Formats: sequence, structure tokens, C-alpha cells
Amino acid sequence: MMGHLPILTILVFLPLAGALGIVLDRGREEHARPVALAVAILVLTGAGLTAVAGPVSLVPSAPPGFFLWEDVPWVARFGIRYTLGMDGISCLMALLTSFVTVIALAVSWRGIGERVGLHCLLILVMESGILGVFLAFDLFLFYLFWEVMLVPMFFLIGIWGHGRRIYAAVKFFIFTLAGSLLMLLAIIGIYLIHGSQTGAYTFALHALTSTRLEPAVSSWLYAAFLLAFAIKVPLFPLHTWLPDAHTDAPTAGSVLLAGLLLKTGAYGLIRFAHPLFPEAARASAPLILTAALVGIVYGSWVAFAQTDMKRLVAYSSIGHMGFVVLGIAAWTPVSLSGSLLQMVNHGITTGALFALVGMLDERSGTREIVSFGGLWGKVPLFSAFFLLFAMASAGLPGLNNFTGEFIILAGSFRVAPLAAALAMAGIILSLVYTVRLVQELLFVTDRRPFSPADLSFREGGVLALLAVTAVYLGIHPAPLLDLLNVPLALLTAGTGGTP
Amino acid sequence: MTVADIWAVMPLLIIAVAAMLVLLLGAVVPGRYGTVVGAVALVGAALWCCQPSPGGVATSLGLILSPFARFFTVLFSLSGFLVLLLSHDYNDRRGIRGEEYPATILFAVFGMAALSAATNLLVLFLGLEGLTFAFYFLVAIDRHRPAAGEAGLKYLLMGAVAAAFTAFGMALVYGAGGTLDIVPAMQSLNAGRGNPLFLAGAGFLLAGIAFKMSLVPAHLWTPDVYEGAPAPVTAFLSTASKGGAVAFLLLLLSAAGKVGNLRIPLWGLSLLSMVAGNLAALMQKNLKRMLAYSAIAQMGYIVLALLAAGQGGEEAVVFYLVAYTAMNLAAFGAVASFSGAQEHESLEDYRGLGFERPFQGGVLSLAMFGLAGVPPTAGFIGKFFIFSSAIRGGEIGLAVIGILTAAVSVYYYLRVVVTLYLRRAEPGSAPCRGTPSERCALAAAGAVIVILGLVPGPLLDMVALLFR
Repeated sequence: MMGHLPILTILVFLPLAGALGIVLDRGREEHARPVALAVAILVLTGAGLTAVAGPVSLVPSAPPGFFLWEDVPWVARFGIRYTLGMDGISCLMALLTSFVTVIALAVSWRGIGERVGLHCLLILVMESGILGVFLAFDLFLFYLFWEVMLVPMFFLIGIWGHGRRIYAAVKFFIFTLAGSLLMLLAIIGIYLIHGSQTGAYTFALHALTSTRLEPAVSSWLYAAFLLAFAIKVPLFPLHTWLPDAHTDAPTAGSVLLAGLLLKTGAYGLIRFAHPLFPEAARASAPLILTAALVGIVYGSWVAFAQTDMKRLVAYSSIGHMGFVVLGIAAWTPVSLSGSLLQMVNHGITTGALFALVGMLDERSGTREIVSFGGLWGKVPLFSAFFLLFAMASAGLPGLNNFTGEFIILAGSFRVAPLAAALAMAGIILSLVYTVRLVQELLFVTDRRPFSPADLSFREGGVLALLAVTAVYLGIHPAPLLDLLNVPLALLTAGTGGTP
Repeated sequence: MTVADIWAVMPLLIIAVAAMLVLLLGAVVPGRYGTVVGAVALVGAALWCCQPSPGGVATSLGLILSPFARFFTVLFSLSGFLVLLLSHDYNDRRGIRGEEYPATILFAVFGMAALSAATNLLVLFLGLEGLTFAFYFLVAIDRHRPAAGEAGLKYLLMGAVAAAFTAFGMALVYGAGGTLDIVPAMQSLNAGRGNPLFLAGAGFLLAGIAFKMSLVPAHLWTPDVYEGAPAPVTAFLSTASKGGAVAFLLLLLSAAGKVGNLRIPLWGLSLLSMVAGNLAALMQKNLKRMLAYSAIAQMGYIVLALLAAGQGGEEAVVFYLVAYTAMNLAAFGAVASFSGAQEHESLEDYRGLGFERPFQGGVLSLAMFGLAGVPPTAGFIGKFFIFSSAIRGGEIGLAVIGILTAAVSVYYYLRVVVTLYLRRAEPGSAPCRGTPSERCALAAAGAVIVILGLVPGPLLDMVALLFR
């Protein structure tokens, strides 16, 4: 550690420093947006560089599979350490985080009229929190970041949201915090058990995975972790906060929620819940598979019935995240790499869809599907992007979601054939609501006089960036998958997937 | 009394002499130097306790300047100092005049400091009653408002009953053990089924303390008194006075080594306080009442860690007490600094204030997030240690209940933040901006909340030394 530049610390705290800069420059709101965007792009560049420099270990002291590692004592008396690490999985998530943050800042460039500085500041603080979640390898530190990221999202929804914004913000906060609190007890539990077994009280993930647990204890602790992560994913039936939060959040908030916050839950399952409690996780795999399947079908089903576009996209997220959890529950290297890839894909497509809905909302002031129609003729550029991302979301081959879903299903089929087959049927459901949305919005005849402006240069640029990524990941996801090979092989070594 | 005795009790002397001086100054140059002299004396007493080895035992006085006493004297003196900063301009705006106010604050700190230094049950009692007596005045000091008088009367009646319980309990403990020294007197707590006389005494003592700490079911006075008393007094009452009661209990329990036979009553008090405090706080519309119930619940968490006394629980208690003191001083301090001639009572009065008054609103919401246990605040670290020591002490069931009630509590703490930031301000509402001294006090409390949340190590190491 000594002598090396603390790259991960810089990566995590750079956004926070940017936020601090915005606070100090208070009173000149016009600076906030460029500053925030510059910081976010800087972080994205940093994450990109680590990915390029990646899979080789850059730090001698790093554990196998990790290319960056920082570890210093924090609260020595209780064995709490400040441990940040980056392996392929974390690197991919850091890339996604920094990319989606840039997108979120760019799409909210015009839509936010008041308190611009605060808006940018909160997005940056949240980026720090989320990066921390993806890079922390000390359970205490992880938990800290895990809760810190809630606060900015609470304010984003509550201050700039629509409709029942306060209700949605409070519900989001309480739901996720209540779920996490039991995880806190479980973290303390495994800390004490490990400490009493070895005499070394530590929160280090790599040490705690070797704790010997009684089956009953293990399943209780696992249940607490599962609850926290399942709420965040969200896994059916713990999803009820999601439609409200996504619908009433401002555009940037929805993009960040769908693109990043949901991913932290899935990431937590992969990184913490399974490795810490492998037996309990294997035993509960059927339950999780069922919940994921129900989520896929239910999310798609309810999405079909929505009249509000944003709500429709929100419910579609439940379905898409069901696929991710399916791959995690199957727990094979292939299904896991599919899940991680799908997390990225979903972040991009759903983020783009929320952005598109937000642009339409800015122009018309409504998100009701039936208020629109015939947009294809009026705003061709917008419609083309909309069609592209809707098709990507529905899993059209050649676009990104297809790759992810395909790898998940291919990886799960060997261990859970029935679940994989049923999930396949779920893809069809997602096609149904997407086609309906596209048809109602773009192609049926105009239902009310409404002639919006087509995309501005900024909007077009953001969407083009997303579109290029979506197409690229659909055709050539290999670079991302390469990142995942080593860490996933290490993660699944010894656990052969579900029986 | 020897010279060594005088050195040992120097912090107490500083505070007591300053209190007298303030009263005398009030007679000569009224309304000018009270707060300054009081503040200087409190900082002086705190600094004296920070010396490497001022120590000493004043056997003839029943006092010892142990690390425990020094730590708590610093805590109480600095809380008193912040309260003085918070009250000076508040009292001006509210028309509370006279040197009695700073002098009484000093007397209260004197009682608390004496209590934490006691080696003898009688001194312990005198310290506890000294501080309570000071609060009888402070609660009712705003004579022009009937609510203050009502609160004062309630506090007086309840306090008198609690004092009777405590004194009677001490008498029984003395009768059982034949000694007033705390350490030998409390040894019987672990002795098997125990002497019934001693157990009755310990029970009465605990009942008296439950009143002071406002643990359910001895909490009924709390919301009314907190609501009626001036906000800075409430800040002091909810922090230092409770801290005194906690120090009292810690002295008794650490003398005994572990909770022993007191486990079941403490368990019940903790459970009831956490559940009833948090549920009642949900229904409050008045911010001060809400904070009163929140304080009841917070004391429940402290008792939860006390159950693990002897297994690291005391350390968690002291750490949380410091965090809690900073958070409640920040919360009530912000309420005080918003108040003009009238206090902002209803939560509705705080709509949109977060943007109108960014600093005070920020400190108030920081305190709320801290009390709710959201990182990175002292409240989170404190709760973390509370629960981990409770689990280590084997109180898993109660810890789970505690964490569930903590989840409930998030709702009402968050409601304050929602009111501050997510609701639109009412046009024409112009709460005070806070004077420099108030802002200093709020900044200090806020800094403690954040710093302890990020760097808890030094304080934890210091606290560990107290129970060697």
C-alpha cells in the first residue's frame, strides 16, 4: 500500500470532493453543472483506466484476483478496517456507476429549474456512496456506504420529484433502511462468531468467509442479508417501494435508481450473501429462483397494465432484475457473468428509457401513454432512439439485453432447467408490453394536438452515447466478460452451483 | 480537609466558586458578565480535568478524581458550556433575565461532576439531588409563561418522589451491607440469590434512576416538562441530567462488575422504553414532545448496552452517551436558535426552513439523521456499538427488538427532515437566524456528530481506559 497512489480512495472520494467544491462555490449556481459533469467524467476516465490496466494485479499485497487493494486500520479497537479493493466484478460495477452518473447529470441538464447546485451535489455524493459500496471489502465499511447512498436519493426524490414525491421518498428510505438494519445485526453476529472462533475480531470479508457456522445460525444470518439485498434489487414481493420511487423521482433520480441502486442489491448477493453463507444460500436457491420467476412474470404483467409510461418502465425493471437474480441463484460462472453483464445492460437500456420518458414529460407535461400517438412522424429522431431502446429492453438479438439474458439462461439451464425454461417464456411477456408501448406512442394516430420539438443536440448526444454502448455490448460483450472470468472462477470454486 | 483534598476536588471548586461569583456579579453589575464568567469557569474545569495527572482521592469528602470522574466532568462541563452559549441570546429574546440562570447551570454541573466523582453513596445522592434541584429552577425559570410553571411543578413533584425512592433504596443497601462505600456496598449484587434487603434497596435505587433517565414506565413527566421548559434548558435536561443518571448507574454497576440480579428489571425497562418511546414519538405533532419521546427511546438503547456491563457494555454506553449528548444539544439547540419571542412548537412551523435557514436547518437534520442512526454520524457508530455489545452479552432477542424499533424511529426523525426540506415554506414566517454564539454552539455539536462518526477510534480508546 505504501508508495502506491491510493487510486481507489481517489476514485471513491473524488465525487465527494466535487460536491464540496459546489458547496464552497455556493451562490454561483451556473458553475454547478459543468463542475459536476467534469468531475463525473474524470471519475469515468479513472474507472476506465483501471479497467484497461486491469486484470493484472497492480498492487503486490492484493489478494488473488484483485488488481487494486487498499487496506488500513480504521477503528483498531474493534478490528474495523478501511479496505477498498477492485477485482473484475468491482471494476465493471465502477465503470457502470461512473457512466450512469455522467448520463444522469447530462439528462438533467435542463429539466432542473431550481436548486441546481444542490441537485448536482446530491448526485455526486451518491456516486461516492455507490462506488464505495462496490469497492468496500470490510463489512463495516460496506454497510456505511450502503446507508450513505440512501440519503441523497431521498432528497433527490423528495425535492425534485413529481406527484406524491414526499410519500415516495419516505417509503423508499424507510423500506431500504429497515431492511438493512437487520443486516447490520447479522454483520455483528458473524463478526462476533468469527472473533470467538479465531480470536481475531475483524470485519474483513475474506477472513469472514472462512467462519464455521451452525446451519441454523447460518440460515438466520443469511436471511438478514437476503432481506436487505432483496429489498434493494427488488425481489418479489419486496418490490412495492420501487414503482412509487421510480415514478415520482426526477429523471436523474430514476436513471440512478434503475441504473445503479438496484444493482447494489444484486451485487451484495454475489459479493457478500453467497460467499459468506454458501450452504444457506444453496439451500434457499429454490425459494429465490421462484421469487425471481414470479418477479419476471409479475413485473411484465403489471407493466402491461400501466397507463403511465414511467410506471411501465419501473415495473419492467422488476422483471429484468428477476433475470439477474435468476442467474445469481443458479450460481454457475456462466450464469453469474450473465447476471453481471445484464446489470450493466439493464442500467443502460432502462436508464435510456427513463431519460426518453423524461424528455417527453418535459415537453408535454404528461406521462400518460394515451396522450401521445404518432410521434414517429413528428419527432423522428426521438422515435428512432425510443424504438431502439424499447427493442433492446425487450431482448432483440444484436442489442445488449439479449446477450445478458441469453448468457443467464444458458448458464442456469444446466442447474435449473425448469426455471430457465419458464424465464424464457417471461421474455415473451416483456415483448408484449414493449410492443404495445411502442405502438401506442409512436405509431397510432395522433390523439391530441401536440407538436414537440425534436431532440436537442445535448439530448441526442446523450442518447447516441447510450445507443452506441447498447449496440456494442450486444455485438461484442467479450471485453466485459473477460474482466469477470477470474473473479467468478474464484467465487464459484468449491461451490458447484445449485444441486 | 487537606491540601491534597483541595487539589483533588479542584474542578468542583472552580465550578462552585464561579457560581457564587456569578451571583455576586449579578448584584453589582447586573446582566453583563454572568454568561462569560460561567462559560470560562466551565471550560476551565474541563481543562483542569484534561491534565495528565491532576488526580487524587479526597477520602474525607468521599470523592475521587478517577479517570471516570474526569471524563464525565469534561462531558458535563462542556455540555453546560454549550448550553450557556445557546441560552444567552435566547433568554434575551424571551425576556428571561438575571444572573440566576447561568449560576444555576453552574450549580447543576457541580452536582453532576460531584456525582461522577463519588465513592460514597451519600455523596452520590447529594450530587444527584444537587443537579435535580438546579433543574427545578431552570425548568420554571420563564416565569411569564404558565406552561413553564406547570412543567416546573410536574418536574418538582416527580423529582421529589424519585428522590425519596433513591434515598430509601440507599438506606436499604446500607442496612444490608453496613457500608456506604459504593464498591463494597454493591458487591452483594452478584452474590447468588442475594440478600432480600439488599435486593429491595437496589430495586428502589433503580426506580429512582428510572425517573431521572425517564425510562418507561417512569417517563410520564418527560414530554410535558420538555415541552414546557425553555428550549436550552430542555437541551440541558435531556443530555447532561440524563448523563448524570447514567453515570450514577454506571458507577453502581461497574462497582458490582456485572448486572447480576438487576438483569430482569433492566431488561424490562429497556424493552418498554424502546417500544413505547418510539411508538409514542410517531404520533407527536410538537417537535419538542417528539424529541422527548425520542429521548426516552434513546435511553432504552443505553440500558440495552448496560445489560452487557462487564462485557464491554459500559464502553458502548459512554460512547453513545457522548454521541447522544451532541445530537440532542444540536437538536434542541437548533429549536432554541429558531425561537424568537415565541418558540416554534409545532412541526408545521418548520416547513421549508431547511432552505430559508440553511445552517440551523442543516444542523437540525444532521441531528435527526444521527438520532436515527444513519451513517456517517456518531449516532450510527454509537448504535453499532450498543447492539454489538448487547449481542456479545447474549441479549440477542432484545437486540433484535431494539433494531426493529430503531427502524420505526427512522420514520419520525425523517419527518422532521421532510418538513425542513420537502415542504414549502409559509410566506411571512421569519424564524431567527441564530446569533454568533448560537451558531458556534450548533457548529460544535454538529462537528462532534460528524467527527465521532468518521473517527470514533480515539474516543473509544479513551473510554476503554475508564473501566480498567
